[in-house]
Amino acid sequence: METTDGQREDAVLLRAAADGDLAAVRELYDRHAPWLSARLMRRCNDREVVVDVVQDTFVAMWQDARKWRGQGDVAGWLWGIAFRRLVSRLRKRREVLLMPDWDAVGNGVLPAAEEQVLLGVEYGDLGAALRRLSPEFRAVVQACVLDGLTTREAGRLLGVRENTVKTRLHRAKAQLRTALADIELEAW
Amino acid sequence: MSTTTWHADPALLQAYVAGELDAVLSASLERHVERCPECRGAVRPLADGPLLDEAWAGVRERVESRPLPAAIRLAQRLGLREPSAVLLSAAASLRLAWLSSCLVALGFATVATLMSEDRLWPFLLVAPLIPVLGVAAAYGDADDPFEALAVTAPYGRTRLVLLRTVGVLVTTLPVAGLFGLFLPGPAWIAAAWFGPALAMVPVLMALASFIGPRMAGPLVTILWCGVVLGAVRELPPTWPIEATQQLVYVGLALVALAVLAARSVHTRKIGAAL
Repeated sequence: METTDGQREDAVLLRAAADGDLAAVRELYDRHAPWLSARLMRRCNDREVVVDVVQDTFVAMWQDARKWRGQGDVAGWLWGIAFRRLVSRLRKRREVLLMPDWDAVGNGVLPAAEEQVLLGVEYGDLGAALRRLSPEFRAVVQACVLDGLTTREAGRLLGVRENTVKTRLHRAKAQLRTALADIELEAW
Repeated sequence: MSTTTWHADPALLQAYVAGELDAVLSASLERHVERCPECRGAVRPLADGPLLDEAWAGVRERVESRPLPAAIRLAQRLGLREPSAVLLSAAASLRLAWLSSCLVALGFATVATLMSEDRLWPFLLVAPLIPVLGVAAAYGDADDPFEALAVTAPYGRTRLVLLRTVGVLVTTLPVAGLFGLFLPGPAWIAAAWFGPALAMVPVLMALASFIGPRMAGPLVTILWCGVVLGAVRELPPTWPIEATQQLVYVGLALVALAVLAARSVHTRKIGAAL
């Protein structure tokens, strides 16, 4: 219930923003800029770039608000805009790009039980299966599946050809399927 | 599984923001936050406040600034840079009101020309004056807006004058040329009036560097009217745009450019009066 209310309200605000209502833009900014900037900071360690990307994202949101027809939710739409901007900004500056460190597992921040709950909430057994993938495959899954890039964009981000991305994604999915089947077997 | 019953506790979000979660946990948390308004709200106190304020200042500036006219946004898509776009949008003679009044005047002139047998002067009178008056009127009739622009614009005076002139020519000439196609008589007439039209622009600029655009605009207008109307009675209708006269216009334009160049070396500001 809460989720649908929140979404509906985002859509209403977006419509007001399209009509040039600055207060509506501000409200949307207050709702979405904090998590968006935190997530961008996990992808890029140049603060100035993140400032620019957040700014561009909300300007784009305001400009395109009229075109938004309520497909999906506003949060996912905003992340799509923001991450694409980030990727195109960073094409020439790879040194500020942070690729998630998949091998630094469990540094004691979370109690194991809590960790399992979080993994279970969103991905079920997929989280554990993800950990078993090789680093290149995880990077592709991260870019295409978790961050929602197209294979072409992911190729640009990872510095490999689009076809390579497609192949890796295909194999990664196959491995995940096998891993999930294994996990289920182990649980028996 | 439902995402509304479980919520990330502050310590978990704190660890995420600080970059202490590993990739799988981060991905799971991000997935959850993307779909959970409550957890999105819970990130707010943990986020980088100054960063958000900085980005908001930029967003606000863009949202509050007046949108540029559609034609200039189109030019921007084609590669016009933002300072040039702002500059062009400030030019009075590029506004829709100015352009449409030009069209009406030219429309009447074209109709007047079409209604009589071999009369060409109404069109010849009006059409070549449109670009030259557009340049003269580009920045309204106040005395110093060009000065203010020249100081604040990110590039030199010469470029400023040229940019504006090109802007006016690009917007007025194609439409006026289209009207020219309706004219009776040989097809070259539709193009021939471009000669005096283009020649008058440097003449205007040269004159304006001595006496200012307010005087130079009317002066050029009077001179051109004299040429066209003086030829009405005795000479053939195409006289003002025939080959010999075209050569005279070219000569005049070259002289005017030389004067402008000399003035700009002398005073170091060619657009001073424009």
